[in-house]
Amino acid sequence: MPPTAPSTQLSSRASSIASRRAPLSRHESTQHLRPEDAIYHSPPRQRATSPLGRSDTVTAKRSNRDKRRGRSSSRRRNGKTGNNGQWKKLLWVKQSYPDNYTDEETFLDHLQRNPRLRPYEFWPLVADSTIIVQHVCSVVIFVCCFTGIFQERVSPQTVVGWATLCTVAGWVFRDYWQSRDTGDEGMGEEEADSPRSSEMEADFGVPFKEQSHGLTGGSSRTSKNHSRNHSVSSITLNGASGASSPINPSDPVALPPNGASFVQPYGSPPSYFSPRTQDRLTTAKSAILIYCSLLGLSPILKSLTLSTSSDSIWALSSWLMGINVFTFDYGAGPEAKFPASLSTNAALMASTVLASRLPSTTHVFSLTLFSIEVFGLFPVFRRHLRHYSWIGHLWLTVLLVVLASGGLSMTISGRGWGMGFLGVVAGGCICCLSMGLTSWWLIGLQRYKNEIHGPWDPARPVIRRHWD
Amino acid sequence: MPYNIAMISDFFYPQPGGVESHIYHVATKLIDRGHRVIIITHAYGSPYPSRTGVRYLTNGLKVYHIPHWVVYRSATFPTVFSSFPILRQIFIREQIQIVHGHASLSNLCHEGLLHARTMSLQTVFTDHSLFGFGDAASIMANKLLKFSLSDVGHVICVSHTCKENTTLRASLNPLAVSVIPNAVVPSNFRPLQPQEAKALAQSDRSALLPPPPDPSKPVGPGDPITIVVISRLFYNKGTDLLISALPLLLQRHENLRFIIAGSGPQAIDLEQTLDSLPQQLVYTPSGQSRVVLLGSIRHEEVRDVMVRGHLLLSTSLTEAFGTVLVEAASCGLMTVATRVGGVPEVLPGNMIVFVLPEVEDVVRGVTEAVGLLTNKTVRRDKFHDLVKNMYSWSDIARRTERVYDLITGSPPALDNEGFYDEQWMHYGQPAHSPSFSLMDRLKRYFGCGVWAGKLFVIVVVVDYLIYCFLEIMYPREKIDICKTWPAPRARDSFDEDVANGYGAHGITKQRSRRRKDDIYNETG
Repeated sequence: MPPTAPSTQLSSRASSIASRRAPLSRHESTQHLRPEDAIYHSPPRQRATSPLGRSDTVTAKRSNRDKRRGRSSSRRRNGKTGNNGQWKKLLWVKQSYPDNYTDEETFLDHLQRNPRLRPYEFWPLVADSTIIVQHVCSVVIFVCCFTGIFQERVSPQTVVGWATLCTVAGWVFRDYWQSRDTGDEGMGEEEADSPRSSEMEADFGVPFKEQSHGLTGGSSRTSKNHSRNHSVSSITLNGASGASSPINPSDPVALPPNGASFVQPYGSPPSYFSPRTQDRLTTAKSAILIYCSLLGLSPILKSLTLSTSSDSIWALSSWLMGINVFTFDYGAGPEAKFPASLSTNAALMASTVLASRLPSTTHVFSLTLFSIEVFGLFPVFRRHLRHYSWIGHLWLTVLLVVLASGGLSMTISGRGWGMGFLGVVAGGCICCLSMGLTSWWLIGLQRYKNEIHGPWDPARPVIRRHWD
Repeated sequence: MPYNIAMISDFFYPQPGGVESHIYHVATKLIDRGHRVIIITHAYGSPYPSRTGVRYLTNGLKVYHIPHWVVYRSATFPTVFSSFPILRQIFIREQIQIVHGHASLSNLCHEGLLHARTMSLQTVFTDHSLFGFGDAASIMANKLLKFSLSDVGHVICVSHTCKENTTLRASLNPLAVSVIPNAVVPSNFRPLQPQEAKALAQSDRSALLPPPPDPSKPVGPGDPITIVVISRLFYNKGTDLLISALPLLLQRHENLRFIIAGSGPQAIDLEQTLDSLPQQLVYTPSGQSRVVLLGSIRHEEVRDVMVRGHLLLSTSLTEAFGTVLVEAASCGLMTVATRVGGVPEVLPGNMIVFVLPEVEDVVRGVTEAVGLLTNKTVRRDKFHDLVKNMYSWSDIARRTERVYDLITGSPPALDNEGFYDEQWMHYGQPAHSPSFSLMDRLKRYFGCGVWAGKLFVIVVVVDYLIYCFLEIMYPREKIDICKTWPAPRARDSFDEDVANGYGAHGITKQRSRRRKDDIYNETG
C-alpha cells in the first residue's frame, strides 16, 4: 500500500488521468532516464507537491542545491560528475550526495497509478447483472422442481415434459438466429451450419464433436472469430458501451465458410444433405443417444448412493450447487466452446446425487434429463439470446425471476398459488433492489482501486515469432 | 568505530549467485575496514558441497551454517520462531551490534531481523530484487516485507529503481533507504591480455569458439563481430526476445557470431529455433557454426567467455542492477541492453546502447552498436579502467559503513567524513532514534494493516515472550563469548583512494587479490 493511497482519492477517474498525464508531459516517452542526462542538464522540472504526497518526507530544497553547487566539485575524488553538482539518477557517477538522498523531483517519477482504469457506470452494470440473476434463478428453479418431485407435489413427467418442450423451442429459435446471422453476412449460402451441435455435444463429451468439427472447417473458423470478438466485447461489457451492445449481427470480420464444407473428411462420399441439415441430423442423433443412455443408466443411478444418508446428500449437493454458481462463466459469448466445465460438471453431479434419492427409475430419469437441460443446454440458449435479442434477454430474466421466486415461495410455504403470487412480488422487489445495490456498491468500491505500475515491472516483450 | 556485524541471509556460498557474492565481498571489505563480520546462513547439502557448522573463510570471515529445512531454491521453510534460540546464542556469543539481512525472499533474513529487534540490536536490510504489485505472490511477499521492514533501522537498495520499488512495497520513509550498488572485482574481469591470447587459443574449446579479438585494435568493416549473451534462459530474462531477434540479426549482418552461455527451461526453444533456420544462416561458408551454445558456465569462466566477444547483448525483462553489464564493460565489451529496471543507471552512455523490449528495436540497437564499433568511435580498451573507477567493493563497504554510522548515531570514520558537505552530515538521520521499547515497536507493527497489523502484533508479542523465556532458561552469563579472530598484520595498500584514512584508525588489511577458488580454503 503506497503512502499516497488515502490522500489523493478525490475520484478514481481523476487520479488515473492525472497520473497518466504526468509522466507523458515530462518525457516524450515513458522511458527511463536517458544516458544523455548524465552529460546535459535535464530541464528544470516543476512539481507542486512532493510525489509522496506527505509532508514528513523532507527532501532537499532547490535553494540548498544552488548553494552547494560551487564547492562540491572541489571535494570530489573523482572528477566524473563534471562541473554541475546536480543530483542524477545514476549509479556509475560518484556524486557528493549521501546515499539516502531522495530527489524530490525525480523520485517516483515514472510511477503510474491505475493506468488502464475504466470507471463503471450504473445502468450497464445493472444490465450485466441480469446474467447472474438468470443463472441463479435457473438454479433455484431446478432446486424447487427437485423438491416438488421429492415431496411428490409435482409429477416428474410434467416437469421434464415442459422442460423438453422449452428446450426444443429454444433450439428452433437458435437455429433460426443462426441461419439469419449467416444470411446477413451476405454469402448467400444458407447452408452455413450452427455451431450448436458441437456445443451440445461438448457438454457431454460425445465423440461426434470430431466429426462435426472436421465437417465444417469454415464455420468453425467463423465461430472462433465470433468468440474472439465477443470476448473483447464482453470485457468491455462493464465499460461505457452501455447495454453491452447485444445485437451485432453483421460481423464484418467473420470469414465466409469455404465451399469444401460439403465434402466429408476421411474420404467418405459426399453427403446428400446440405451441411446445415447434416448438422441438424447430428444434433438429433446425439439427443437420441443421450436419451437412450440416460434411460439405461437410470436404474444404476437410482441405487448409486443407497448406502449414504440423506443428510450427506443434501450437504454435498448444496456445495456442488454453490460451486456451480461461483464458477459459472458469466462473461462467455455465444460461441464459447467449453465455458466453465467445472461449473457444469458440479451441477450435473449434484443432480445425479439428488436423483439417487428419488423413489423410481422414471423419477431418476426425468430429473437427470431435466438437469442436463437446465445446466447443459439452457446456458447455451441464454448466451445466444443475449447475443441476438436484448429485449428477449430482459423478458427471459423477468420470466425466470417470476418462476424462481414463485416456485421458491410455494416450495417453502407448502401452499398454493396465493403464496406463489406473494413470492413473485417479494422476489421481484428483492431482485431489483439487490441488483441496484450491488452495482452501486461496486462503483463505490472502485474508488479504492490502486494499481501501481513503474519501471520495476517486468517489461512485456514484443515478439514476432515467424521471421520471413 | 568498529562494529560487530552479522550478515544474515539464506543465500550464501557454496550456492553461486549475485546476492551471495555481494554478501561475501561486502563482508570481507568491512573486515578490512576493521569491523568484525560474521555470516549466518543455513546448512547446505546436495547438490552443493556439504556445509554445516562453523567455517572460516579467507580474511577470518566466520560463517555459521544453521541447520534448517530448505524448501525452494535454497530458501528455508518459513517458521517464524524456530531459529530464535540459535540466533540468540550466536548474537550473544559474537557480541553482535548490527544485524544486516539480505534478499527479500530469504526467510532466515526476516527471522533474523525480527529477533534482532526483539533483542534490541540495530538492523539493516539490503534488497536485491524488484517486485511488481499485481499478482498474488507479490502481494504476499510485499506484506511480509512490510512486516519485516516496519521496524528495521535502515534499508539499502542496489539501484534507484529498486529504492522506489522497495519504498512503495514496504511503505518506508525514503530517507531511511540508501542506494548502494553492487560492484565487481576488477581484477577478475580484465580484458584480454596479450600474453593470454595464446593460452586461450590452445584451450579445448577454442575449436568451437571464435578467436578472442584484441580490444585495442579497432574492428574493420567486414571483420567478424562476436556477440556474447550470458543469461539464464528463463522467461524473465527475455529469452523469447533473444530467440526472435537471433534469426533477424543473423540475416541482416553477415559478420555476426554469437556465443550464448547459460541454461534454463527455454534452452530447448532456442535450440529448436536454431535447428529450424536455413543452413547458410547458421553456418559460415567455411562450415563453422555462427551460434555457439555453451550451456551453463561457472562464474569463474564468465570472464574467459566475455573476452572472446565484442558486444554483450542483454535482453532481460526485469533487472534490479544488472551486474553482468558491469562485468562485461569491465572486460572491455560494448553492451546492448533492454531499458528495464535499474539498467539505465549502471553504465555511461558511451558503453551501452539501450533498446526497448521489442524485437525490431533489439535489432536496431545491435546494428547501432556494430556501427559504433566499426566507426572506431568506441575505445573498448579504455572501458576497464573507467569501470574500475566506477565500482569497487571497498567503496561499497565504505558506504555501507556510513549506513551503520547513521543508524547507530556514531561519528563516521576519518576517510568517510570528507565525502559530503556538512549539510549532508545528518541527512536522513531520524530525529529521535527508533525506540526499542516493546510498546513503540508494537505501535509500528500495528499500523501495517487492518488484519495484518493485529497478526503482526501477536507475532511480535510471542517473540518477546520467547525471548524472556530464553533469558531465563539460557541466561546470558552462561553463554561463552567467542574470541576475536586475530587482526591481520600485513598491510598492503591496494586501493589508493581509501587508504588515506586507514593509518589513523590503525586498521590493517590483507591483500585482496585472491581468486574465487580460494574462498574455501579451510582455516579452522
